[in-house]
Amino acid sequence: MDNNVIDQSKDITILELLDRVLNKGVILTGDVVISVADVDLVYLGIKLLLSSVETMEQLKTGRAIREMKE
Amino acid sequence: MEILIYAILWVKQDSVKLDTLLNGMKGFSGGNLHAVSTNEIAAVVCESETSRIETDRAGVIDYAGVIETLSRQFPLLPMRYGSKMESITAINLMLERNYSGIHLNLQQVEDKFEFGLKVFCDSEKLRADLMAKSRADDTETPLTLPESPNSIYKDWINKKLKEHRLEEMLLKHVDSVIAILIGQLTQMNARCKFKKMASETMIIDAVFLLEKRLKDELILKTEELQNRYPGLNFILTGPWPPYNFVEITIT
Repeated sequence: MDNNVIDQSKDITILELLDRVLNKGVILTGDVVISVADVDLVYLGIKLLLSSVETMEQLKTGRAIREMKE
Repeated sequence: MEILIYAILWVKQDSVKLDTLLNGMKGFSGGNLHAVSTNEIAAVVCESETSRIETDRAGVIDYAGVIETLSRQFPLLPMRYGSKMESITAINLMLERNYSGIHLNLQQVEDKFEFGLKVFCDSEKLRADLMAKSRADDTETPLTLPESPNSIYKDWINKKLKEHRLEEMLLKHVDSVIAILIGQLTQMNARCKFKKMASETMIIDAVFLLEKRLKDELILKTEELQNRYPGLNFILTGPWPPYNFVEITIT
């Protein structure tokens, strides 16, 4: 196992960034409408889910993380 | 016309510093960034001609870049992407209405970074290793049903019992890694949030909030953990603005 797997510098991985910006942070209650490729996602209430299927698949395999580090 | 909100900052008495910083930056679709201030806090905003905010990677990354730049200069709470209000007046009212909660949360994140730690494993290999270790250590009588000429389900139930036992060992192993991690982080006075077994391969998904000066120590301790558990893959990212340590919902 390669012991240099810890990302010591701030390698902004797209997965981590997208997860934070899209799913975390301060929430405004009420309706927020965000367009994704011309499909309106209406957000009612508190929880907003915008994780892409691609993101979820990559997290399952763990491969993408290693590939990004190499 | 709608107003996209990027973050809420603790400006204190440094509004000139913030204005200077914003003058050198661009927001959504190249628009100018402004500060909407109430007492010591300010919302950083950008006006948008369109009411629909397209979500593409480039736009999201630009949005995050603005927040990143601001977080280096001021304690802040990042807004979720796409947060918008209809007017400056509405934003001012929002800041006034939620002032004490915002102020308290800003105090909690001042001079602190967020880090993310994901721990991956080869789940099949880990299960095999745990089973082998269990067989080597085990002095208990294996869990089996008593012999019964009419027990046609005995093999199936034994199989399920073994699977259950293996899952228990796996969770125990994950808990032991988390316990050691928490022990290390407690020494650094870090706040932690954990998710266990987020997927088959991601056994730990954690975020930490700790003082900026302790960044190198966290990296060192994570390296030590990696050396201690060579079968696991530790991925540490950061520092980030405190996305996961927002404790308020704005009304």
